[in-house]
Amino acid sequence: MMLAALFLVTQVAVQDPRLERLDPDTRAAVVAVVDSAHGVGLPVEPIIQRALEGVTKGAAGARIVAAVRRLTVDLGTARTALGTSASEAELEAGVAALRAGATPDVLANLRDVRRPPLTVALSVLADLVASGVPADSAAAAVLVLAPKARDADLVEFRRAVERDIALGAPPAAATSVRVSVAEAYGVNSTPNSNPATRSRRPRP
Amino acid sequence: MFEREDETVERVIQHLRRPVAIDPGLDARVMREIAQASPQRRRVNPLWPLLAAAAVLAAVLVVRPWNWNAANTSDTLQFVLVAPQAASVALVGDFNDWDPARSPMQTAHGVWATVVRLAPGRYRYAFLVNGVEWRADPSAPAAKDDEFGTPSSVVTVGGRGT
Repeated sequence: MMLAALFLVTQVAVQDPRLERLDPDTRAAVVAVVDSAHGVGLPVEPIIQRALEGVTKGAAGARIVAAVRRLTVDLGTARTALGTSASEAELEAGVAALRAGATPDVLANLRDVRRPPLTVALSVLADLVASGVPADSAAAAVLVLAPKARDADLVEFRRAVERDIALGAPPAAATSVRVSVAEAYGVNSTPNSNPATRSRRPRP
Repeated sequence: MFEREDETVERVIQHLRRPVAIDPGLDARVMREIAQASPQRRRVNPLWPLLAAAAVLAAVLVVRPWNWNAANTSDTLQFVLVAPQAASVALVGDFNDWDPARSPMQTAHGVWATVVRLAPGRYRYAFLVNGVEWRADPSAPAAKDDEFGTPSSVVTVGGRGT
């Protein structure tokens, strides 16, 4: 019975036609990683996408395999921190936050103070770090805002910090000031948020 | 004149008060018909509530099919890259299997754009210019964990309050 189940699991990955873009050796290694992830209940789609990103970008097979193995480990760490009920999107965002420098404890604390989904909160944390904000400052800011802020508020907070940084403010100071503003005026308040400077991606 | 009318009215009244011969079995027949008809009128097909519920559900789905994803609302995003010298630009990312053929971008005076519908999640993506040059989205956060040596960006679609 277990062998049959294992065979079925293996076939899921083997039969995924998208992986045929990989060379045979790399494909075999990636399939093994995908099967391993599937076996422990981790989402496999992010792993497949990372492999496809590598092959489209012309990366060497060894590099692709290393990337998917690292991603699988990080997905496991994120799930441990966020809980087994975390969605695939939350785990991916959790991986981004971990790689940005957030500790598993930060992820667990965020899970405790904010109702799911945590995808945007975790992404904002990662994106703040990518903008130059120190990881501990970004984590502290998100944890302060997380209990009350809507996803849109967190995104607007991140944009405000990025604008301040672009205007020359030190990243940690910009984050701190924006958190103080949000605490003073409410997380739904976005002083100095000029609509003209918002994302150029229109919503239908 | 008035007396004659009174007489006429009186005759009509007397005519109406005359006993009418009725079939003695009429009452029994009427009651029997009622007894037979009543159970049929009151009987409700047990399938009707189910059929009604199915009809309501179908109507809801036809009118508002997006309710399936009410808690998982997708978002339509426009991706734009200004590249006046480019001959072709493709949007590739986690949402299209990193396949350049899936999301070719259209240009107008060097401004390349395309629209993609995304479910909530965090996506990595990049622009492939002229089939060889990788560019990140200058208006989006950078993907910090770039393991393949070329720049990528990230976009997050939220499912609550965004």
